Amino acid sequence: MRGVDVHMLEGRRGEDARRRRLVLAIGLCTAALLPGCKRGSDDGMGLSVGLDGGESETAGDDGDEIPADLDPAPATLRLLLQRQYVGAVEELLGPEAAAAADPPENHAINGFDAVGAAQLALGDAEIDAYERSARAVAEAAAAAGTLDTWLACDPVGAGNEACIRQVVGSFGRRAWRRPLTDEEIERYTAVGTAAAADLGGFEAGLRAAIAALLQSPYFLYQVEVGEPDPDDPSRRRLTQYELASRISFFLLDTVPDAELLDDAEAGLLYDSDGIREAAWRLLERPRARESLGEFFGEAWRLRNLVGLPKDLATFPQWTPELAEAMRGETLALIEDLAWEQEADFREVFMADYTFVNARLGFHYGLPGAAELSDTHTKVSLAGHDKRGGLFGHGGFLSLLGHVSSTSPTLRGKFVLENILCRTVPPPPPGVVTDLPTNDGSVTMRERLEAHMSDPSCRGCHEMMDPIGFGLENYDGIGRFRTEDNGQPIDSSAVLDGEAFDGAASLGTIVASSPDSAHCLVRNLYRHATGHIEGPGEEDALLVIEDAFAESGYRMQDLMVEIVASPAFRVVAEPE
Amino acid sequence: MVSKRFRLSRRTMLRGMVGGTMVALALPPLEAMLDAHGEAWADGSELPRRLVSWFWGNGVALADVGNPGGPLRFAPAQTGPGYSLTPQLEPFAAVRDYVSVLTGYRVSASFPLRRGHHDGTAMFSGHPFIELPPGSANYASKFGGPSFDQVVADRLGGQTFLPSVQLRVSKRVVTSEGPSLEFLSHKGPEQPLPAIQDPREAWERLFASFTVPDDPEKPHRMAALDAVLEDTAQLKARVGTADRLRLDAHLAAVEQLRSQIDALAPSCEIPPQTAQSNDDIDGNEQLEPVNRAMAEVLALAFACDITRVASIQFSGSVGYTVFHMLGQNMGHHDLTHDAGQNEAVDASTIYTMQMLAYLCERLMQTPEGAGNLLDNSVIFAGSDASSGLTHAVTDMPIIVAGRGGGSLTHPGIHHRSDGANTSDILLTCAKAVCPEITGIGGGAGHSSTPVSALQA
Repeated sequence: MRGVDVHMLEGRRGEDARRRRLVLAIGLCTAALLPGCKRGSDDGMGLSVGLDGGESETAGDDGDEIPADLDPAPATLRLLLQRQYVGAVEELLGPEAAAAADPPENHAINGFDAVGAAQLALGDAEIDAYERSARAVAEAAAAAGTLDTWLACDPVGAGNEACIRQVVGSFGRRAWRRPLTDEEIERYTAVGTAAAADLGGFEAGLRAAIAALLQSPYFLYQVEVGEPDPDDPSRRRLTQYELASRISFFLLDTVPDAELLDDAEAGLLYDSDGIREAAWRLLERPRARESLGEFFGEAWRLRNLVGLPKDLATFPQWTPELAEAMRGETLALIEDLAWEQEADFREVFMADYTFVNARLGFHYGLPGAAELSDTHTKVSLAGHDKRGGLFGHGGFLSLLGHVSSTSPTLRGKFVLENILCRTVPPPPPGVVTDLPTNDGSVTMRERLEAHMSDPSCRGCHEMMDPIGFGLENYDGIGRFRTEDNGQPIDSSAVLDGEAFDGAASLGTIVASSPDSAHCLVRNLYRHATGHIEGPGEEDALLVIEDAFAESGYRMQDLMVEIVASPAFRVVAEPE
Repeated sequence: MVSKRFRLSRRTMLRGMVGGTMVALALPPLEAMLDAHGEAWADGSELPRRLVSWFWGNGVALADVGNPGGPLRFAPAQTGPGYSLTPQLEPFAAVRDYVSVLTGYRVSASFPLRRGHHDGTAMFSGHPFIELPPGSANYASKFGGPSFDQVVADRLGGQTFLPSVQLRVSKRVVTSEGPSLEFLSHKGPEQPLPAIQDPREAWERLFASFTVPDDPEKPHRMAALDAVLEDTAQLKARVGTADRLRLDAHLAAVEQLRSQIDALAPSCEIPPQTAQSNDDIDGNEQLEPVNRAMAEVLALAFACDITRVASIQFSGSVGYTVFHMLGQNMGHHDLTHDAGQNEAVDASTIYTMQMLAYLCERLMQTPEGAGNLLDNSVIFAGSDASSGLTHAVTDMPIIVAGRGGGSLTHPGIHHRSDGANTSDILLTCAKAVCPEITGIGGGAGHSSTPVSALQA
């Protein structure tokens, strides 16, 4: 396992994570006694790289130091993602209400829903959908009895108006992730009171007020405006409430829980230690696992497996159940590495084991598939079909293919762009972008190698195709094969000067390349902040990368270091 | 699988409503209200005019695949009226007098930015597209300005229940390269308009979103929206320029919803709910039944004057639609990049033109006044490249159908104008439904010169 010791962390499991948090808490106390301490995070986790920005004033209660060269992106309104809207409704009003929520779909930009959500405007159809959804949610919550959980008032004694005002204030604070102004409380109380008077009762009034609060831009957007940093008025930082929202929507895909919101109110999120402590607590919630799974569902396109079209004449085995089993495989490996083992996450590219159910085990021809159940279980891949890690997963191999064949180009392009964050230029305009004809007698590799003879194609296809050639032993739905078009497959290939053949050996090269960890950090950061990083954030990202490395590339540490990074909590003036 | 056709009876469609679940308060184009010739309202004002923007992805087949810069099979040999129908245009035989073919035009908006497919979709706005700096993330682009259908909707939309409607037939659309490839209609760079892909949902949106005037919930829904308007206006004061524009869109959409809740239901009889879904059967898309159902719903919506502007994305840019009914098993985009598949590309073009011809026929079969809906409509149909093989944006294959209320030439012509700006054609179509429009597009794609040969 060249360059990567995936076992270095063996033994550091959940127990250890808790211990680490204790250390953090002690570190926090110590930092409070040492106002000159710039790196509250210097607690033995080794976050000792590059976070200083000169000799400016100390952090104190108002937050630790922001590097001088950090040049953040402007603050923007960020529409809640579809899953975040539903998660928020679930947190606020329970699962029945969440089932009734039906917000419009997201539209990705630069490959990220969160980037689209920070740039695109809502139109008529979306506003219409949000109104329907809000009313359906309020109705479902009323039927499920969860509206009453916000009621700390007796409408019979105190009257409708007082109690609606009370709920608007308490529900509103959680739903909008900040206290409402008096004016806002009156505005929404009036909506509820009028409905109560008109529609025959308190509950109708409550429903109307809740439905209205859920249509407000303060619910629908993460409103990130920021405030001047009192330590350095030339800088702008997120307010405590804005930061709590950013942390919670990133880590949990939902609104801040009561404790996090109280932390914000108490100003406990100004320095990285306070943020780390809150983040570690949030990561213990089951939602954190789902949320990370959703991120990979998006970044690695696993969600596209549902309904992925394949030509059934070519691949009669392709069924929705098989596609779902493939999605489950990759998600199970992610969950195992990030949460169960708390292992070096780069293992995801080369693990010599995987998780399959009977359907997928049979598809892979695994010995013992007959004994497997419908549930995914851990199985060894040692010595099986050169498999190991993501690039041998049926999901990856099926997603990055054509309807009736493999596509070495698409597989290679994805590894370069989405796993290693390298840029592949487009075909120049006016060039004949022709794939040499399939006359049924040559392999896909031989056909594609014809590209290499055309100088206008060669540059880019030389980058992409060879990666895919090394995976040609897996067909368009991820089955192992040794022949293509009746010809023997040559799956010897090279990436970054290192020879490989098959999924496991490609994964080893990818895992040991600094680019894979670098890319993971960037992609998670882009999702978390809703923008593609600019040059002024580069140093801060390198610090996160170093912390990720110091942790032994543990995913939970990466998530915590992202939210604790100065880059996560400062913004530029809205443009 | 055959789609359920619900018949449009003019008598029932347009009869005044008498209670029940149907509410009849808006003004229908009853014969009694038309002038003696049935060509205008009795007060002399004109019948409504409609615009359809229709898209298919990845261009058409080359006449000679060995000559990628050469002509397309699509183009008729003769110009002017009475042009003979090529096999690619044969599907329009039943509506040929209504159909003009335009060739030789170039997407001038493809200057200065070039990128396969992205620069072709720029045709639909006439604005050069905007690149979104990807860093090391995925490439993406958005429209540089509103698509031309939205320029028209901006002018006409206030007169109907919905300013416009966006429909889609094939679901095999690329979503990873930004709004330019994913959507056909755009109100502006930051506001792509998602398309409805299930005919049942289209029916719901067009015919089932009316609020009964005495609905007791109505004033309280309005009050909620008023509170949202106040929040939004206050928030606007605190954000940057780009977000102010987004919140302006938000405000406009809330206002639109308010007016919809307040709107009176159409005076026509609500057609039965369509049963056609857009689910795959055995992994295959149901392109023909879905296309039929969408054409039905749209014809009914036009007849009821629920909207006057529509866009239909039949297949996507870089889309991977499989024309399985033609015996194909490759995604369309892949097909167009395989010179050995030129015949298959050609077959898919012919099939696509059949789908477009169905819409034309459906509108022609729907009477209105002394004529039919196609007399009072304009359909602009085009793609994102002339030939997918080269991503060329010269010699674009373009169809303009309908008489535009008498403003377009009839019978249709084949008009060739080498190197002319495709925005000229968009402007001609936009002016046909909304004569006050004087320009379309921006930058190198701007046009203030309609195609006079197309005008009546």
